[in-house]
Amino acid sequence: MKNNNRAPLPGHLAGLEPLSRRGFLRASVLAGAALTSGCASLFGRKDAPETLQYYSLKPDEVDVITRLTEIMLPTERYGLPSSTTVVPTVKNIDIMAQRFPEQTRELLGLGIWVFNNRPMMSFKFKKFTSLSDAKALEYVNAMQEGAFFERGLMTTLKALIALNYWRDERTWPGLEYHGPVTETWGVRRLGNAPLPRA
Amino acid sequence: MAFVRVPRDGVPVTQAKDVALDPSLGKRFTLKTDVVVVGSGAAGSMVAYEMAKAGRDVLVLESGRYYPSSEFTEHLGDTMTKIYQDQVGQVNTTADIIFVQGACVGGSTVVGACVMEEPGDKVLDGWAEKYGLDALSAEKFRPYLDKVAEELQIHTNEAHEINACAHKVIQGCEKMQFSWKPAQRNVKQCALTGHCLAGCPSDRKMSSLVTHLPWASAYGARIFSDTEVIRVKTLDGRARGVEARIVDPDSGAHVADMNVDADMVVLAAGGIHTPLILQRSQVPDRSGQLGRNLAIQPFTQVLGKFKEPLYGFRGALVGVQVDEFTHTDGYTIFSGLAEPESLLAQGDMKAGQAHIEFMKDYKYYAGVNAFSKDLGNGYVKWDGDAYSGSKTIHYNPSREEFENMKASAALAARIFFSGGAEKVYLPTFQSLQANSVFELDEKMDKVDYGIKGMYTFRSNSFSPHGTCRMGADPYESVVSPTGEMHDTPGLFVADASLLPESMSAPIQWTVHALAKYVSDQINNNASNYFIS
Ligand SMILES: Cc1cc2nc3c(=O)[nH]c(=O)nc-3n(C[C@H](O)[C@H](O)[C@H](O)COP(=O)(O)OP(=O)(O)OC[C@H]3O[C@@H](n4cnc5c(N)ncnc54)[C@H](O)[C@@H]3O)c2cc1C
Repeated sequence: MKNNNRAPLPGHLAGLEPLSRRGFLRASVLAGAALTSGCASLFGRKDAPETLQYYSLKPDEVDVITRLTEIMLPTERYGLPSSTTVVPTVKNIDIMAQRFPEQTRELLGLGIWVFNNRPMMSFKFKKFTSLSDAKALEYVNAMQEGAFFERGLMTTLKALIALNYWRDERTWPGLEYHGPVTETWGVRRLGNAPLPRA
Repeated sequence: MAFVRVPRDGVPVTQAKDVALDPSLGKRFTLKTDVVVVGSGAAGSMVAYEMAKAGRDVLVLESGRYYPSSEFTEHLGDTMTKIYQDQVGQVNTTADIIFVQGACVGGSTVVGACVMEEPGDKVLDGWAEKYGLDALSAEKFRPYLDKVAEELQIHTNEAHEINACAHKVIQGCEKMQFSWKPAQRNVKQCALTGHCLAGCPSDRKMSSLVTHLPWASAYGARIFSDTEVIRVKTLDGRARGVEARIVDPDSGAHVADMNVDADMVVLAAGGIHTPLILQRSQVPDRSGQLGRNLAIQPFTQVLGKFKEPLYGFRGALVGVQVDEFTHTDGYTIFSGLAEPESLLAQGDMKAGQAHIEFMKDYKYYAGVNAFSKDLGNGYVKWDGDAYSGSKTIHYNPSREEFENMKASAALAARIFFSGGAEKVYLPTFQSLQANSVFELDEKMDKVDYGIKGMYTFRSNSFSPHGTCRMGADPYESVVSPTGEMHDTPGLFVADASLLPESMSAPIQWTVHALAKYVSDQINNNASNYFIS
């Protein structure tokens, strides 16, 4: 049983998801060694998605989201870090979903189910996960142009995936985005503002 | 107090981890104070400062975490996870409008875009007349706004605070002969990093984190983070304190329950959460307006793609505003392009090769936020038990509001084309882009109101307000002209919920000033409220 109530990692550890606390514990039993952050390579970011642990997304949800990530973000073809094997996009979504209010989490589950199982004649009523790459992309585009609730669902799923990929700073050089600058520029902290004069 | 010293850095805050480690507090504890302030954003921090300065014992309870500015990473994704309400997942019932709110010590002021604008004289005089709020007439209220301007170091952007993205807006406006002006912001010596929405690590943004909270604390106010107020306690119809729950923000563990005994409760949990607390507390409301009149100031993000690289994300986030239509139609357009994640707030971001190409064009984009005024017909509702129930935010644009959003986005697109854009991406759920100004109307016509305006424009709200409307008539308003609930003595509201009707100007400045005004009402009548 997966624990759907597990709290997420604190935000400052984002990007180190495979090194989650639970991962640490499990690995320490396996490796019989005290773990430090130096162990990243042991089960680090290059892990295949199937070796990652998911605490909020169910296995079939992971399959749908992983497939949609591949279709939406064919990154390697464009010299960007892989959206599945380098940036843990789906794992990031899993962590995010743990913090969702219950209602939102339920809606997400329903949305993923509908997205995968929605029968569409032009796709021979196949599930999204069993469509070829070209057909899957066609399906996504058709949903985006579809009825109002199809557009809504598609935009939401896309936003979730895109956010959890592009938030990884390893993707930024590909956009010529500088990222944090305060430290690089040596900007001095001003501290608290002085009390106003009476 | 003879000598008041503000610490150089940070704010003393008792966090869940401190409570967990303090055996004297235990799982359930009671604190006594003169005033308990709920929420630490624009309004809560102001009330805490004014009341503590007046010598009151003040306790501030904040449900979000304490994230000191020295720990800001200039990483929007991380910030969203940590200190934005519901990780930016606070949405209306149809999940097509996002209600963005800071959930941390300092509230939304910590992640705000720094634009400061005063309400016009006409607006203030209108409130005075229509809602019996004489003290808010332009003449009487302006000194409050002026004092806030001084405290928050509000200034008009100088030339170096107007970046390439803003210059495209200026060029477009000049060609269209639309009026524009440099925005005013609450920033001291801006370092032009462009990371306002992820918090300012060098303390240049005059957020409550570096102004009213450390000042309040210097005067003795105590601040708790990770402490969510569940309900207000009343005794014989009078507010007597609050019940709160302390939760560890990292583990989600329930650390303790807090009971507060106080002479007075001031709610400053923002336009969404203050009415929810009041609904959970089942306080009397003759007007039936509690949680209603929700105005959201909806805005959409329009992107223009230009021939030359602009790196529009560099420099001060907001440079200029288009004010040509503010007073006539209620549309205001602000320049601004933030981190890559912010592009996703825009409409359809496509998939496959088209998505990658859309993102890879980042440096060629200029962005604007096209605001429109709404009619204030939304409402928020708490369903179920106070501890385990849930909130819903009801807002879908009426036809009129939908047309307003459309007109505002279309104007933004026109300005970009006049400024030389090759292409404009429209903020719609459908995949719509215009390749020239001649295509614009045809593309805009494709945006159909559909059913209740759902999934048409991809819209956001930074500034929900109006849900505890202030006014003299207890059958029309929730809160009296002093800020006190009409039917519950000792219970005050000081935040964005007070605004009596929908505003078109950004509201933060007004909220600070209203909170100062409410504090004055309390302090001027202290003998009526406090036992000591
Ligand atoms: C990203 C962003 C950008 C913005 N940019 C601008 C801008 O450029 N210009 C402008 O004028 N306005 C801007 N705003 C809006 C502005 O910040 C708000 O209108 C203003 O801060 C409202 O003040 P408030 O005190 O009502 O609420 P807030 O400042 O939101 O404070 C409310 C606080 O109450 C806390 N709270 C909620 N529920 C509870 C509870 N049950 N118990 C305890 N605490 C609770 C919240 O965590 C929050 O910290 C922006 C807002 C956001 C989110």
